[in-house]
Formats: sequence, C-alpha cells, structure tokens
Amino acid sequence: MAQHRVQQWATFARMWWLYDARWQCPFQSAPVIIRHLQGLHKPIYHPLSDVGDHVVVINTEHIAMEGDLWRNWRHFHHTGYPGGFSATRVWKVHEADPTKVLHKQIYSTVKGNLLRRPIMARLHLYPDDNVPEDILKNITGQIRQLREVPKRLDEYTQDERDAFPRLFEWPADYVPNPGKKTVKS
Amino acid sequence: MSHATIPSGFVKSALQNGAGRYVCQLQRLTLVFCKSSGGSRGLRDFVEKHLLEFTQKNPGVVVYLQPRRHRPPKLVAEYLNGRREEIPVATHNDETICQWVNHLRTHSGNETVRLRKTWHTDTPSIQGPWTPFTNKDTRLNVTQLPSEELSRFQPTEPSATEKLLRLAEQLRAKDAVKGGGETGTPV
Repeated sequence: MAQHRVQQWATFARMWWLYDARWQCPFQSAPVIIRHLQGLHKPIYHPLSDVGDHVVVINTEHIAMEGDLWRNWRHFHHTGYPGGFSATRVWKVHEADPTKVLHKQIYSTVKGNLLRRPIMARLHLYPDDNVPEDILKNITGQIRQLREVPKRLDEYTQDERDAFPRLFEWPADYVPNPGKKTVKS
Repeated sequence: MSHATIPSGFVKSALQNGAGRYVCQLQRLTLVFCKSSGGSRGLRDFVEKHLLEFTQKNPGVVVYLQPRRHRPPKLVAEYLNGRREEIPVATHNDETICQWVNHLRTHSGNETVRLRKTWHTDTPSIQGPWTPFTNKDTRLNVTQLPSEELSRFQPTEPSATEKLLRLAEQLRAKDAVKGGGETGTPV
C-alpha cells in the first residue's frame, strides 16, 4: 500500500548529525561517532540492514589530548618494502592534516569487516567550522560534546576575576618560584 | 515432512465475515456417489436420512447429487472465494459424513495453512512505526543548526569551581549578616 511505502521511507531515512570536536578527546569521541555512523542508536538497528547515519565533525584541528599524548602517541605506517616502517608523532600528523588524527582513530575503532569503508564514507571531517552549504543544509541533529570546553583566563572579564574568592592577597612584590630553571641574573 | 513444504500463512477471516452479519461461504455442495457399490453406502444413507433436513436449514447452499457408476464417493464443496475442496468419503458411515458436511458448511473456504503466528492485526502499532523524528524535542524544528546550546556538554554534577563559588557566596552572605568586614578575610 502506498502509505506503507512512505512509512518505510520515513523509518529508514538517514539523519545527518553534527559533532563539534573542539576540546574533545579523539579516543572518547570515536565510539560515540561510530555509534551514529552504524545506526546503533536506533531502535530499528539490525546488523543486516543499512541504517547508519551521516556525521559531520567540525573543528577537528581543535581536538584535545590528555597529558603528553601529543608527543608520545605515534601513528605507524609501513610501505610494504623492507625498512619501510615509519612512526610519526601525533602532533606532527596533526600539523600536516588537522583531520587525520580523528579519521585514523575512528577508522581503527570500526570493526575491520567489509562494512568499514561504507561506514567511513558517511563521515565528513572539517578542520574548522567552515562547512560547505550543501552539507550544512542536510544537518538535522547534533551530538552533544563529551567534555566541557574550558574557559581561558583572558575570556573572563575583569569583574569576574575580581569577584573570584581568595583566601589571601599575594604581596605586591611576590615572585612565584619558577622551579629548577631559575634564571641567574 | 518438513515445514517448508507445508503452506504457511497468518490468521485471517473472509472479509471480516461475522463482524456484522454472517454470510455462509459455502455456495455449492456436490455429492458424488455410486448407486450400487458398497463404498458409497454411507453417502447413500446420508442422502436418505439427513440431506433433506440440511437443505431446509441451509437454503443458501446449492446441493447437487451426482450418481456415477463405480466411482469412489466424495463431497465437493465450492466456496465464495472460488476455491473448491474435495473430501473422499468411501466406506464412511452417514454420521461421519454429517460431520464432514458440517465442517464444509462452516469453513471459510480459505486454504488450511500452518500458522506462523497465532494472532494477526491490521494495525500493529497505534503510534505508527518509528522514524528518526519520533519523540524528538519540537524545539529542533525552529533551532538553527549548528547550535551552541545543543552541542554543549551537560554535566551531571557541579564542578569544583562551581562548588567553590557557591561556598564563597554562602560565606559572604554570612559575613553580611554579622556586620561585614569583621573577619577581615578577603573572601
């Protein structure tokens, strides 16, 4: 019946989600994005039916990593030839391509079967918030961020800084101890 | 016999028969029998003893009697939906044939199938099937995306900074009650 045909279109319609990666951890964001890419968040999910959504990720160049991971986490590559192995620090990868860290993290988190390529094709990564108009007009929902975006000191007004509670006032001539690297004058 | 070879289907009635009035689905009943052979004895008894009563009670059913020499007796029922059902009744007595005739009279005419489910409904869900927009907040209809409000992380408990500010607020309120500036702490 005609009405059932239209109901079928409505049920299996693909949503386009937007995710703001500013100050977000790629390791924690990847499983959440993959859930939407595979359609696992839908009550009609079945592994044999193609019900995945599109996810548009913006501000990927502003992702955050914990601790020393920007220096210590490495991306590996092997050309296939002898001696073709290379390991690159993730800050270097991020400098060359601001979308690559998140892309590789999501790609490696998706299960490595034949569905991985079509799932990745539904992912759209943008280094900043300049998204093409034809992509932006599809967006129908937004995924919440997983962490609070911290506020820098210069983003507070002078009044807010003055009103912040203090136990005591620093002396006017106080110089904080810079640690071991004391500059000898 | 495997289940795949038996026709399967769902519970259904002929055009919701009986929901308002009942229409007998049996339209024609043909009794095929032999006048002489012993196998048709039961059917001949049925014709003599019960057939007249049956036709009087069911004026909507056409009954044909078809004597055929040396043929096995059978009941042939034809239904409103066009299906036809044959029941061989050789060596059956007249009471058994009465039961078979009653079965054919009350039958819907639909094929006897293995039921895949013991229930059936034309409206499986009153709400309608799920769509991506089911139970979505209606604010989404008028919100311009990307929206800062919809993207922001929602903490489940206050942060340490918020707790500290709240504590300072309480202390300041307490100082204000005391007379202010007595403690001298620059809270």
